[in-house]
Amino acid sequence: MAAISFPKSITVRMARPKRSSQKIGRFLAYFLLIFGLSFTLMPFMLMILSSFKTNVELLRVPPTFWPETPTLENYRTIFNDPKLPLLRFYGNSAFVAVFNVISTLFTSSLIGYMFAKYEFPGKRFLFGWFLTMMMIPGQITMIPSYLILSKLGLLNSLWGLVIFSAVDAFGIFMLRQFCETLPNELLDAARIDGASEWQIYWRVVLPQLGPPLATLGILNFMTNWNAYLWPMIVLSKIEVRTLPIILTWYNSTHTGQAGLVMAATVLIIMPILLVFVYFQRWIVEGFTMTGFK
Amino acid sequence: MDNHKPKQAKNLKGGMAIAKGRFVLGVTLPLLLYESLGIFVLGWALALMFFDYSSGRAGGPILGLGGSNPFVGIKHFVNMVNGVSLEARLFRTSLKNTLIFAFAVLPLNLAITLPLAWLLESIGSRFKALFRTIYFLPVLTSSVGVALIWMTLYDPQMGWINELIRYFGGKPVAWLSDPRAGFLGVSVAMWAVILAYLWQDYGYNMVIFIAALQNVPQELRDAAMIDGAGPWQAFTRVVIPLIRPTLLFVCVMTMLSSFQIFDIIQVMTNGDPAYQTQVMILDIYKNAFRYQRLGWAAAESFILFLIVMSVTLFQMRVLRTEWEY
Repeated sequence: MAAISFPKSITVRMARPKRSSQKIGRFLAYFLLIFGLSFTLMPFMLMILSSFKTNVELLRVPPTFWPETPTLENYRTIFNDPKLPLLRFYGNSAFVAVFNVISTLFTSSLIGYMFAKYEFPGKRFLFGWFLTMMMIPGQITMIPSYLILSKLGLLNSLWGLVIFSAVDAFGIFMLRQFCETLPNELLDAARIDGASEWQIYWRVVLPQLGPPLATLGILNFMTNWNAYLWPMIVLSKIEVRTLPIILTWYNSTHTGQAGLVMAATVLIIMPILLVFVYFQRWIVEGFTMTGFK
Repeated sequence: MDNHKPKQAKNLKGGMAIAKGRFVLGVTLPLLLYESLGIFVLGWALALMFFDYSSGRAGGPILGLGGSNPFVGIKHFVNMVNGVSLEARLFRTSLKNTLIFAFAVLPLNLAITLPLAWLLESIGSRFKALFRTIYFLPVLTSSVGVALIWMTLYDPQMGWINELIRYFGGKPVAWLSDPRAGFLGVSVAMWAVILAYLWQDYGYNMVIFIAALQNVPQELRDAAMIDGAGPWQAFTRVVIPLIRPTLLFVCVMTMLSSFQIFDIIQVMTNGDPAYQTQVMILDIYKNAFRYQRLGWAAAESFILFLIVMSVTLFQMRVLRTEWEY
């Protein structure tokens, strides 16, 4: 490619041996990439195919790849199962994720903006405090947090699940970075026009934060939607459970019925997976920008 | 707003300062309260590890510490080092398993993600986005779903992995339940969860590497190629040194998330067979919420915290050096 800018004689001399080796290289690259691709897709594929098989077919050795007698029976059983009101569990997961997203977006933007644009005594200390708190992994505070919830009678409550994560130190960092790039003149112009500080935050700053808020929002939504350990500890009653815990519960109560379990897995992970794929750009951006998972 | 009469500049400035002060106070006070709760929770966690605490017993007046939940000093930590009780031995097993897991995942992950990212970067851009999206799918999938999918693949009779082994004339393996089978001194159950975890996780490091590789100026690679370097040499001698900060960062992040592995293992094996896949958070979880040994579990969490913290501090020290190119 770079050889284009070279004198013609050199280009010709270099390009000859390069072209065939480049072709092999390209072929090899595509081969490896497609191999990796099938390795990535195959488990999904097998899950979906299994969900259309009868239990008799699933017990067969060697296993069949395509369903011999494709059936919707597994899905029908799940939809008609009174013990598995899927919509309710979707609602639980959605409540937890949406509440968390709204609360963290609000606190992160407000606090991040304050750290970026206001001077006050103890600011450095407060920020250092955040830095320390952010590095403490959730597992160390898990036990006392559980004890607090049990003392407050908030076990088995979706509110108990969300109150500890209303402030997100990571989100504050991220939005502080963005708010620092906002021009001070913009804020001062609003002040001279008589806007109160809250109005400035709400009407002037917040509309500027669209992209970082979208990134942070979808990341937090995904983390909460897929969260497993903490919801499992807090929610032991079946009707308040979120989807991942329902899925393991369904698996443990339907051992040996792989078709049903795979159909439930499809129903629980696929719809939201499509949503995440749609928002992938924001997720990847968030990951690469911050290296946070 | 125009109904406000223009005031003197000095007055305006004073009023603004007050308004700003009010705003800061209005935000920081609730925040301080919330963060104090954080300190309180942390303090409680640190206190718990010096007590033989069980949430079933009433205990002393302050947070149930003391009384029937006696103070035991550093007994838990002494126990971890040389205790012979089941929980002490299990702690050491789970620490060992966590280290095996983390040190197996890291090189395998890099061996997959770095070349794949490099290949993806080097091919034409037409399929790039599609490839990346598909490689990224497992990252977006719930770990519970990943675990259930892989459990059916590992099924001793009907699973596809044993079917492949049979096809090539090998002997089927009870991947998740045979305590005697092993490979390179590590049990097959551990390899099985490592493979499932790798499958879920490689897309994540890949997109980070792709982003880093995109920042490597194409001219530098071309210059190396013109100077007679092959693609492999251009990669190891030019590209790798240039993405070194990212490489280091990815190593540390992969390490940290491997130390905190829980979901996949809890669903796939729950520590079985014979505790060969019992990792630290699983052990902490079982002790705290199944056997009610919360003091012991808090002490274990603290050890995990020390490990995670030292890896983080190491990262901060090393990454403070800025690389320029």
